Amino acid sequence: MKEFSIVGKDVPRTDAEAKARGSALYTDDIRLPGTLHGRILRSPIAHGIIKNIDTSKALKLPGVKCVLTAEDTPKVKYGNWRLFPETQDEYPLAVDKVRFIGDEVAAVAAIDRDTAEEALDLIEVEYEELPAVFDVASSIAQGAPVIHEYCPSNISVNRKIKYGDIEKGFAESDYVREDTFKFQAISHAYLEPCSALAQVDLDGRITLWTSTQTPYIVQCLLASTLGMRENDIRIIKPYVGGGFGGKMELRTWEFCAALMAKKTGRPVKFTLDRQEEFLAGRRRHPMTIRSKVGFKKDGTLVSKDLRIQLDGGAYNAMGPTATFLCGNFGAMLYRYPNYRFLGEHIYTNKPPASAMRGFGAPQSLYASEVQMNIAAEELGIDPVDIRLKNAQVSGDKIPDVATISSCGFSESIQAVAEMSGWREKRKSLKPGQGIGIGCYSFISGGVFNWFNTQYPFSAAEVRVFSDGTAHLLTMASDIGQGSDTALKQILAEELGLRMEDIRLTTADTAMTPQGDLGTWGSRVTLMAGNAVIDAARKIKQQLFGAVSARFNLNVIHDIECKNGRVQATARHDYGMSFGDAVAMVQKANRGEPLVARGSYTPRGKGLVTPAFGFGAQIAEIEVDKETGLVKVKNMWTAHDCGTVINPRSVEGQLAGSIQMGLGYALSEQMIMDGGKTLSLDFADYKMPTAMDMPPSEVVHVDTFEPEGPMGAKETGEGLASPTAPAISEAVYHATGYRCKDLPITPEKILNATRDKAE
Amino acid sequence: MRLPRFEYFAPKTLEASLELLGQKGDGAFVMAGGTDMMVKMSHGRLKPRTIINLKEIPELHYIKFNPQNGLEIGSTALLSEVLNHADIIEHYPALIQAVQTMANIEVRNMATLAGNLCNAAPSADSAPPLMVMDAEVSLVSSRAKRKVKLMDFFLGPGATVKNVDEIMTAITLPAPRPQTGASYMRISARCGVDIAAAGVGVAIRLESEVLAEARIVLGAVAPVPLRAVKAEAALVGRQFDPETVQYAAQMASEEASPISDVRATRDYRKSMVAVLAKRAISEAYERSHARHS
Ligand SMILES: Cc1cc2nc3c(=O)[nH]c(=O)nc-3n(C[C@H](O)[C@H](O)[C@H](O)COP(=O)(O)OP(=O)(O)OC[C@H]3O[C@@H](n4cnc5c(N)ncnc54)[C@H](O)[C@@H]3O)c2cc1C
Repeated sequence: MKEFSIVGKDVPRTDAEAKARGSALYTDDIRLPGTLHGRILRSPIAHGIIKNIDTSKALKLPGVKCVLTAEDTPKVKYGNWRLFPETQDEYPLAVDKVRFIGDEVAAVAAIDRDTAEEALDLIEVEYEELPAVFDVASSIAQGAPVIHEYCPSNISVNRKIKYGDIEKGFAESDYVREDTFKFQAISHAYLEPCSALAQVDLDGRITLWTSTQTPYIVQCLLASTLGMRENDIRIIKPYVGGGFGGKMELRTWEFCAALMAKKTGRPVKFTLDRQEEFLAGRRRHPMTIRSKVGFKKDGTLVSKDLRIQLDGGAYNAMGPTATFLCGNFGAMLYRYPNYRFLGEHIYTNKPPASAMRGFGAPQSLYASEVQMNIAAEELGIDPVDIRLKNAQVSGDKIPDVATISSCGFSESIQAVAEMSGWREKRKSLKPGQGIGIGCYSFISGGVFNWFNTQYPFSAAEVRVFSDGTAHLLTMASDIGQGSDTALKQILAEELGLRMEDIRLTTADTAMTPQGDLGTWGSRVTLMAGNAVIDAARKIKQQLFGAVSARFNLNVIHDIECKNGRVQATARHDYGMSFGDAVAMVQKANRGEPLVARGSYTPRGKGLVTPAFGFGAQIAEIEVDKETGLVKVKNMWTAHDCGTVINPRSVEGQLAGSIQMGLGYALSEQMIMDGGKTLSLDFADYKMPTAMDMPPSEVVHVDTFEPEGPMGAKETGEGLASPTAPAISEAVYHATGYRCKDLPITPEKILNATRDKAE
Repeated sequence: MRLPRFEYFAPKTLEASLELLGQKGDGAFVMAGGTDMMVKMSHGRLKPRTIINLKEIPELHYIKFNPQNGLEIGSTALLSEVLNHADIIEHYPALIQAVQTMANIEVRNMATLAGNLCNAAPSADSAPPLMVMDAEVSLVSSRAKRKVKLMDFFLGPGATVKNVDEIMTAITLPAPRPQTGASYMRISARCGVDIAAAGVGVAIRLESEVLAEARIVLGAVAPVPLRAVKAEAALVGRQFDPETVQYAAQMASEEASPISDVRATRDYRKSMVAVLAKRAISEAYERSHARHS
């Protein structure tokens, strides 16, 4: 492993103290004088035509300052897939039709929240109800109601991947099996509900503070939906209390806050409540996955045929990306010589699903991993061994995707098996106890430019000063994952400075360099990190020039930035303090400040991702055979995220992933009655709490990713996948119940074990 | 959701609060921890016109125990105070079991037993153990005082025999008797912070090795915490053995009349009643054995 001074160390998070003290300002905490408070009127029906909206009574209510319906807006559709405008299917406020319970129909801004809420009750909407569909099978059946005029089939996107010859592959296989898996919707359940605050200046320019993962995307789409120029809109991302994929699109309240601020001349704020978040919020895709796999007797994978239907809900949101990625994740972990994928994104009259941590991987990999476990059992091979046999290794080429550069997958499997005592426990656990394994591979950011950005994927500006400090400006968005800390560490490392020498300005579209696609796809550390290094190296070049000239160094000397100095690597006395070096460069340039821009856009890395993370996880559980309750007793993880920039941050990602994985595996689901979401609070939406968390141990497998900043790659989302299959296998090991439709509820376990007993 | 507009009072004496409650009449509610009330208000399910906070009244805030008279818990004693009370830990472990599973530390630092009972949720965790241990509650109005057996207190979800002008001042439990034992078991989807999907409280008294008395109350499986009389009858007069326990548990399960809802299905709740009853009976038996003196 390379030696670093700050990278790889448990540097305290830049946001930790502010969050612990409660002084961190989130969007809803920001108070501007004269602010109006907005509320949204939502559709009570799943599918229908809006015949008439009468807002006159609401407008008359004292304190109400503005009421919006689609008629007051430019009626421009938007969606994240700008590259394919036909996929942009959403209006900020419903035009003519509503498509799910919770669809946004009108908005009110008033002097306080209560008045706005009261006004909602005074808006009269006349609907003509239409037949609705709530599952993919009904949606694609003959004669099903059409949800969007432009898309008579209700299949909005399909994606095909094909290589090798799957039929020949199955013919050559000794063992072929086919399984169908079903997945529930779950909520991102970020701690901070969505919130946006808009202010308009005297020139009509808009500033919007918003709880978002993607300031640049919001800026562009807000401009297009309002018919404004992008530069006339400034998006600022304050502290954000989590996103997990649920805050990466333009949303109605952002649009309404901006337009209402324009109309009233006053700041306008919207903050959703938890009930709205559950009722109408984005969610993880429900899916139906049919997977057929063929193996040789010795466990070698030969062929895979994967069909996935995504229940997208009423709009595309980030569904198209999930559809693409599901296909990639289906063949990313192991070597599949023959592979075919068909993914279909299908509309239904339910709240739209969208990106959620893992972006199709948790579903796709659950199916893969459970099938690996079944195959292992039926072929009489240990689940660990069958994985080692097929694991991707460095240099493997995934057709149509990329060549894998760094890969510590096999090492991860071996490490996790060892630390958990796998081989011993698989044999010796008592009845009711079980141990199981699940693995993952994930992308470090996407390459496919669906947003059609005209800027670099990530950018950074570094300013350095003669007092020995630096200022880093980047649009990269820390939403709690810790990128502010990681990027500061990377810059400090590169410039030989300390954390406290660096000032940071991030995620402000008017102040930080264009552009950055935002926080999703585990892209920020790799992409923004590379942009930071790029800028820092340009600075260093100038500093090195100054030092070289000052000491009349032989051209063969290496020069370094280290410990606050710029110096010849071999002769530290040929050097000066960082600040003095900056001053010299500045002097040579008639006082011009020393500033550099850096950027990163992947090159020559195919269309999927520049680098892959890998890992393996083992869960040990105990099932109460009478109640069916599962207790997760221990989790072990070994993973490969390249260079670990901040160990504690990575462990934080792991703990969060285990918490989400526990919920996905065992208890979380959006309970629906047709199009209506019934689980509207945390009493009924069973998210695990701190008290449900098992002890956990982790090993970071040491690899170096050549494409990553200082060797780093993803660690944010990959870990969201292995927990559910590991627990599922452990439950099977303990009870003989093999779950193919998450979550693994106590009732399902009891029914299955009772059936077996009878 | 919008909070309703209401008047707020925090009187310093019971007398003052009773007077206010009488005066304000309909739409006036007393509040202890507010952990049920505030949730209901913010969901629009409760719209009080007047709120009278009881937490400023010193005379309601106490826990008293003596071996002769038993336990008396003032109506604003906090769940966390109950949970950490040495005498309750020693003599009323079934109550500790219930309070321990309730909510989380933050909520327990605000909430009260009286609030749990007066709120009258079918899933109220403290009701089954208190009922099986023969709890009484003291109800006071500006006109009268009375004591009601908790067994007779609940009428339906959110409904009790308490009149609108009455305040619950205390919950009393008889002194622990020799050869008695009680237990409370519940089940829910999460281990931390959850509402019970089913709960079972059991108390028994042994005479030498015979089960002389038994009380069984089921939570979250009927409109009120439900006394399982057939299950009780299945135990009384018998010795403790697996068949007897199994049979009584089965009766309890049959007596339960749960609904299916977002938390659990009817079938699951019914079968869990049998499991919990079996375990609670066994634990109550062990405890009665341990308490010989
Ligand atoms: C996160 C969370 C988790 C929870 N988990 C559980 C759980 O696991 N198990 C469980 O049983 N409950 C649970 N609850 C519900 C609640 O906390 C309990 O019912 C609690 O005991 C209520 O007490 P309180 O003092 O807060 O009642 P309050 O909300 O103050 O009052 C509740 C009702 O009782 C009335 N009332 C209160 N005191 C008196 C009095 N002295 N005289 C007359 N009327 C009175 C009020 O008018 C009101 O109608 C939970 C609540 C939350 C928010």
